[in-house]
Amino acid sequence: MVLIIRYFSALLVFLFAGNLHHPATVGEDWDEYTPVQEVLETLGESAPAHRLPGESAQALMIIKQGEDIVKRGRTIGPNGKLSPYVSKYFICTNCHNIEQEDPDLTSRDPELRLIYVREKNIPFLQGTTFDGIVNRESWYNDDYVKKYGDLVKPAHEDLREAIQLCAVQCSQGRPLESWEMRAVLAYFWSLQFTLGDLQLSDHEMAQLRAGSSNMAHYASLRTLIRSKYLQTSPAHFADAPPDKDKGYGLEGDPEKGKALYELSCLHCHNANGVSEYVLDHSEMSFRNLEKKIPKDSHYSLYQIVRYGTWAQPGHRPYMPHYPLERMSNQQIEDLRAYVEQMSM
Amino acid sequence: MTRSKKNLVYTFAFWILTVLSLSAFAQKENVYQTFRGTRVVNGHSVETQREGELEMIIAHRFGRVNGGPYELFGLDQATMRIGLEYGVKNWLSVGAGRSSYEKTYDGFIKARLLQQKVGGWPFSVTYMGGMAMRTLHESDSVRALFYTNRLFYTHQMLIATKIGDRFSFQVSPTLVHRNFTESRAELNDVKAIGFATRLRLNKNIALVGEYYYILPNQLSDLYFSPAGIGIDIETGGHVFQLHFTNSRGMTERFFIPETTGNVLRGDIHFGFNMARTFKLKGRWY
Repeated sequence: MVLIIRYFSALLVFLFAGNLHHPATVGEDWDEYTPVQEVLETLGESAPAHRLPGESAQALMIIKQGEDIVKRGRTIGPNGKLSPYVSKYFICTNCHNIEQEDPDLTSRDPELRLIYVREKNIPFLQGTTFDGIVNRESWYNDDYVKKYGDLVKPAHEDLREAIQLCAVQCSQGRPLESWEMRAVLAYFWSLQFTLGDLQLSDHEMAQLRAGSSNMAHYASLRTLIRSKYLQTSPAHFADAPPDKDKGYGLEGDPEKGKALYELSCLHCHNANGVSEYVLDHSEMSFRNLEKKIPKDSHYSLYQIVRYGTWAQPGHRPYMPHYPLERMSNQQIEDLRAYVEQMSM
Repeated sequence: MTRSKKNLVYTFAFWILTVLSLSAFAQKENVYQTFRGTRVVNGHSVETQREGELEMIIAHRFGRVNGGPYELFGLDQATMRIGLEYGVKNWLSVGAGRSSYEKTYDGFIKARLLQQKVGGWPFSVTYMGGMAMRTLHESDSVRALFYTNRLFYTHQMLIATKIGDRFSFQVSPTLVHRNFTESRAELNDVKAIGFATRLRLNKNIALVGEYYYILPNQLSDLYFSPAGIGIDIETGGHVFQLHFTNSRGMTERFFIPETTGNVLRGDIHFGFNMARTFKLKGRWY
């Protein structure tokens, strides 16, 4: 239901794009389903570069194509035929959620996120969610330049470039064709934030509605809206501890570790997952992980989480690492505690 | 048995089968990796290839270890088979291979009929139907052989269950039909029951064993039931299987009716299977 509402919201944005700049009383109609970008543009903000031009009623079909590409890696193209996979190895949702994953949109706290995703039963992944991705202003932030070097520069400021970088480098696939890019963007626009996502108080909503007819308040209202969500997705890399046996010197909580194991590790390492290293709840899986923890090798839990693995000639699937904002040092210790508990 | 008793038995059997069939198709998670590869030692396991995956299996069987140091315990001699297996669907595989032993080509089709489920249907069933053709030039010029005399057929039902995380067991009733036999004393149809097991020692290493019981009065005294033990080593996309067996043959046509090694005499061959999987269709994993 929420998805349908978002589709229609996106459709409305397409249909009314360009006609939103000087409405006299448009703010009166704003409610929890009103797209944030629509409000910002009404308040005088210019459209972002990744904004799609107004579309015809085809928009729903295009959104569905984009959803197919994101969730299944391919879709029925304009020629009526099934398109080739973007990547032979991954689909977008292997590393990214499509739902809200942080309880507070102004924070990227992995501890709070774990509590939230456990309640919602959604995965705990390396990549940032696509929910509200079009509302961000930069991508591949902070330390991703260490991993991708100059490739990050165009991707940092342009969502289209970020999608292409993800398709080619992260998923070891091919660049999207223009119609595929349009479809993926259309789908992403269907996942944009609405005023309801921002958890505005009644007073703030009233402020918005009232201020929409007074240009003098536009700047402060835009600031108010922007204060309700992060415009970037911070990403800071961390090192594995030098002494794997001692780890980070934090005491782990196996109960949280269990959630991490199930919502993070098993998301890819299940019997039908994207990895040939299959894990389950058997003693053998835990023992195999446990005996590698203290070793100073690529396969230690610390090393794998913090550095991931690499695509190699002949074996291109790999595991992306977790930045600090995606899994904290404490959470790695929680995971270790659970693995050690289960391997005994 | 009276008619009413028969009806009772049939009714009971019908309901048992209905309940089991319903549980087989219930939406439960599949039990995976009953065996790691599609072969146990020489014979097939219940496993099929995943859709779109091509597996190349290179298998070697060396000479007998009781050949002593002069033969380097059998390593001086080797027969080999190169085979390819492809998953048309997850439940349907086809394969072909060529053995250097008697220059034999073989092909087979494997169809998974039932799948063991976690907390549901208790075992998996796969049918394997194969055909082989010996192309070795005949040494006996007096006795002319027809093309059809070189053909062999195999039908096999592979019934396997995985119990817990470590133990798997398989029973495989098998029929090998030979269009031509060396003597009239031997039957064209050879019936056997195979038994195979796998015990996982840890995540990457498992012990495997295999034995085919040849039903009596089918073969001459020269031939023995094939048996083998081995170790499976899993390394990512590769599976290495190292084993000792009393047979040099690597297809049913050889090792079921024509195993000449007597285990009690030490007629044991060292061998290995090496499998590498390539994804040809769809996404990789």
